[in-house]
Amino acid sequence: MDNKENLINRFLSNLKILFSKLLLKIKGFFIGLFTLIFIKPYELFRSLFLGIKNLIKNIINAYKTERKAFFKGLSSFFIPGLGQIRNKQYYKAIPLFIILAIFIIVELTTGNYIYALTGEIAQYPAEDKLYFFRDYGGFFTKGIWGFFSLGELVRGDMYRGEVIRTFDRVLTWRTADNSRNLLGQGVIALVFLTILGAVWIASIVDAYKSHIKQVKTGMVEPVKQFIRRIWDELFAYIIILPAVILIMFFTLIPFLFSFLVAFTNWTGRIDLGDELIFWTGFETFTLIISDAAWFTFFLDVLLWTVFYAFMSSVTVYVLGLIQALIIESKYVVFKKLWRLILILPWAIPGMISLMLFRNVFADNFGLINQLLANADLTNTVKEILRTIGLLGQGVAGEDGNILWLTSPNNGRLAKAIVIVVNLWMGYPYFMLLITGVLGTIPLALYEAADIDGATGFQKFRFITFPWVLRATAPVIITTFTFNFNNFGAIYFLTSGGPRYESIPNSLRILGAAPGQTDILISWIFKLSFDATVRQFNLAAVYSILIFIFIGLTAIYNLSKLKSFWEED
Amino acid sequence: MKRTLKDRFSRFLKRLTVKNVIIGTFVYGWLFAMVAIVFTPLFWMISVAFTDATNLSQVSIIPNPSEWSLANYIELFTYRSRAGQRFSDYLQAFFLSFQIAFFTMIFVVIVSSLTGFAFSRYRFKAKKKVLLGMMTLQMFPSFMGMIALFMLFSWLGLTGNVYAVVMVYVAGAVPYNTFILRGFMRNIPKSLDEAAMIDGATNLQIMRKIIIPLAVPIMGFIAVTAFMAPWMDYILQRILMQTGGRDTVAVWLFRYMDPLSQDYNPILFMSGALFLTIPIMLIQIYMQKYVVYGLTAGAEKG
Repeated sequence: MDNKENLINRFLSNLKILFSKLLLKIKGFFIGLFTLIFIKPYELFRSLFLGIKNLIKNIINAYKTERKAFFKGLSSFFIPGLGQIRNKQYYKAIPLFIILAIFIIVELTTGNYIYALTGEIAQYPAEDKLYFFRDYGGFFTKGIWGFFSLGELVRGDMYRGEVIRTFDRVLTWRTADNSRNLLGQGVIALVFLTILGAVWIASIVDAYKSHIKQVKTGMVEPVKQFIRRIWDELFAYIIILPAVILIMFFTLIPFLFSFLVAFTNWTGRIDLGDELIFWTGFETFTLIISDAAWFTFFLDVLLWTVFYAFMSSVTVYVLGLIQALIIESKYVVFKKLWRLILILPWAIPGMISLMLFRNVFADNFGLINQLLANADLTNTVKEILRTIGLLGQGVAGEDGNILWLTSPNNGRLAKAIVIVVNLWMGYPYFMLLITGVLGTIPLALYEAADIDGATGFQKFRFITFPWVLRATAPVIITTFTFNFNNFGAIYFLTSGGPRYESIPNSLRILGAAPGQTDILISWIFKLSFDATVRQFNLAAVYSILIFIFIGLTAIYNLSKLKSFWEED
Repeated sequence: MKRTLKDRFSRFLKRLTVKNVIIGTFVYGWLFAMVAIVFTPLFWMISVAFTDATNLSQVSIIPNPSEWSLANYIELFTYRSRAGQRFSDYLQAFFLSFQIAFFTMIFVVIVSSLTGFAFSRYRFKAKKKVLLGMMTLQMFPSFMGMIALFMLFSWLGLTGNVYAVVMVYVAGAVPYNTFILRGFMRNIPKSLDEAAMIDGATNLQIMRKIIIPLAVPIMGFIAVTAFMAPWMDYILQRILMQTGGRDTVAVWLFRYMDPLSQDYNPILFMSGALFLTIPIMLIQIYMQKYVVYGLTAGAEKG
């Protein structure tokens, strides 16, 4: 009796501790959320406001105390490099002039200002409104104009007494606006103008500071000394420049473009040239929540994505662990050979394995169906699958192959296969990793356990497993985020199929319904590239949602890595 | 001390207890089952690749050497869709992929060793924010971005251009590799730099003569992963290369596996895939020791 009570008490106290821990976690989560939504923006605005206030104060201060330096800065404010010339630093002025000149030349050569000046405006006067930068602006000004307006005129519109056409070589302003291209051009123009702005500000600050320095030292810094100083001081910036330029072009610009698409109404239904894209703000975001049918699909896909990412990481980890433990156990000889053989699935390129398995599970003449037919097991397996609720295809005892990946009734089966195939491909990686970690566990721990008379399972439970888990925890989270976005695992194996049995009409019109094994990322692919769908704005919205989720997970993961934040 | 066969046998008998036999049977049973699961699809792939069958139904499930034929490979290496092509379609795709992979590897190693060095050795403003920003930006799903890239490449007339695609891959690979290299390089003692600095070495010399040679193993890992990545990346190559009229091997493979494509032919796919798999598999197996190493290098310190 006593023992039982004791047990219950212990259980209750454990429960209490668990509950309070959970409560703390939840509390922490809400506090974090609160800070994120309210405190952080407040702090941001406050620091922004204070920064601007400080800046103005500093400028006024500079005007009062360092008047000469202030005017040199001011001349750089009008033309970058002018202040440097007045400082007699021609080696700084010339590159600054060149940068400005490049921007101006690009603007002038891509624009049609010359026609505007030679009387085209008088010849074709605008009755209503003249879009000067649309008609004559160069790359940057037209880009900015296009970014904010996303175009004004389409084929057939009357403008300045002429009809807008698809393309006009002579009067280029008669060419219809293509909103998509304007948006792209606008993003690129904005990025470049931001860079120009940064250079401009740097030149102002430099002109001001150089003057003060020259007064202090009484000399102009010679060219050679300047170059050496820059090379030394800015060495780190110079060597990360290639990476920054690459990332700006091939990551940042595409990112900004796709981010902005979420706030437009751009779909494949909009015939560019005949119709315009508009800024719609958060309309697309509200659509995915307000449309009930759409929202259920979204939740379905989201749940499956999370389930898939979780299961595919956990199964792979567990099998990898078992495999590593078995091969490392004292019962196994030729460890290296076993490891080499069992590692093969990892060495095969993923896309090939996935497409191979697509054949393996093919409806007709796929390997599995052939094997089952040869062994006369088709119906038995069907029965088993039906009993555990994976198979919904046809009625009991029906002939025919098992439709592993294609029957709308077999959604769960297809999902199971996706996870199993991922397991086949993924376990060797963890087997490798965990084998490596096992080697790092100090033998002294096991010896001590032996002395205390621990059983094999206890040694695993209290030494091996915690050690392995701690060493591999970041990798598990990385795997989870990887699988969350593992487009190939779905696309090459099932292409998202099988389709849902019934699709509500509101979705049928959009034609954008996911398949039963579609995870978010492969659905996004369908939404943006499937020729009959092309819901670009929706795809962009989902991309942003994924990005927020994955980004937060990754930052959390990194924050656990002490080494990342350590200053060196 | 050398043990004789007899010794070994007696030791073996001593260990032959009931418990050990049961566990041993289980362990080996498990291992053989795993091997069977791993190999069944692979053997099937091989036997499909070496048939002259035109339909999967005619392929025997168990590899049967007497029925083997090289018909598929002859087609792979001779079929030219356009007259006057120097190599067959498949080989051309293969070489194109090889080009992309090779240049990606070179540029990734150069660019990420520069950035890795900068991030491990210098203090500069917003260092962590830049690194974190680069790595987070990378996580944005790239499909919509590909539309933007496609527009950019079309304007510049770069669709079908090898280097343009390479640059996209390099931009994608640099942030994570920088992270790994940074983790590795800061374990190299700073005293080495300082000693060199006293001897009058410049920044560039320290990097070239001291840090880079010491970081060779991790750079080998980075080089191989960078080389491997473009082989099987499909979507980007489809958008940026195929529209320029050039197939990479991934695009080729997918074309033969896509039921909607007119080239659909799973048997030819298997032969092409097998041909590609073998070299990649060998490199991967050779490189496996770096996996654990590369994984932990970025994360741990000391």
